[in-house]
Amino acid sequence: MSNHFSVEQTGSTAKVTIQGTLDINSAPVLAERIDQLVATKPALVSVDLSGLELIDSSGVAALVKLYKGVRGGGGSFVVNGARDQPLAIFKLLRMDKVFNLQ
Amino acid sequence: MSPRTAIRMVLPGALVCRPLAVRVVAEACRLVSSPQPHAEAVDLSSAGYDLRNRFDIDFISAFMEIFNNIAVHAYRRTGNGDVEIAIGVHPGELVVELKDFGVPFDLSTVPEPALDELPEGGMGIHIARTMLDEMAYEPGPPNLWRMIKRIAPSQPA
Repeated sequence: MSNHFSVEQTGSTAKVTIQGTLDINSAPVLAERIDQLVATKPALVSVDLSGLELIDSSGVAALVKLYKGVRGGGGSFVVNGARDQPLAIFKLLRMDKVFNLQ
Repeated sequence: MSPRTAIRMVLPGALVCRPLAVRVVAEACRLVSSPQPHAEAVDLSSAGYDLRNRFDIDFISAFMEIFNNIAVHAYRRTGNGDVEIAIGVHPGELVVELKDFGVPFDLSTVPEPALDELPEGGMGIHIARTMLDEMAYEPGPPNLWRMIKRIAPSQPA
């Protein structure tokens, strides 16, 4: 599966979809898009990770940055579909509850 | 190391080369966690990593962080140096050694991350330490990382 992320924004709601690998190589690209999204102060950001196969600490850092940005702007943040290796990493770093995993 | 199966490879210590190393180590994980007849054991044609077994997940998570560390800290993101990887596949145990020729790293100075404060960095060594049964580092040059994980008694060998 190739690495891919997309942001669909409808009004004050945004859906971020991340597929493939989110790591030290791909996270900087996502970080740029995160800055743009956070600047709009969305009321709700849902992150779809059902297609995410691998994540490393840099990928987690990018998601934490997104979480902090959204919450800092008063918005809600939810992660859907995390499984396998990414889910194991979130649990290890105790971020499964922070990210409100669905 | 006197493994049943030994795999050795040398590749540039650059982040762009990490996916290749991860694929090889992922297959080595499967040789330990899901032993199959030799003809079916190695399938590099898969498009994905297909990491579902907990052993595989843990080892690959740790390996990615150590490779990152070499590329970022030892070689300063220049890619100007090799990583020598030796993989020892034992019954119920995987041993991977990574040797680099870059700037030595002081593992003792790496603090545990304050997870309750939602850190945006400093989690890599914590991930590697936690996911492995043994992790050792000998500063050089060459610098040597040794990673060991065993099948848990409750898991099928």
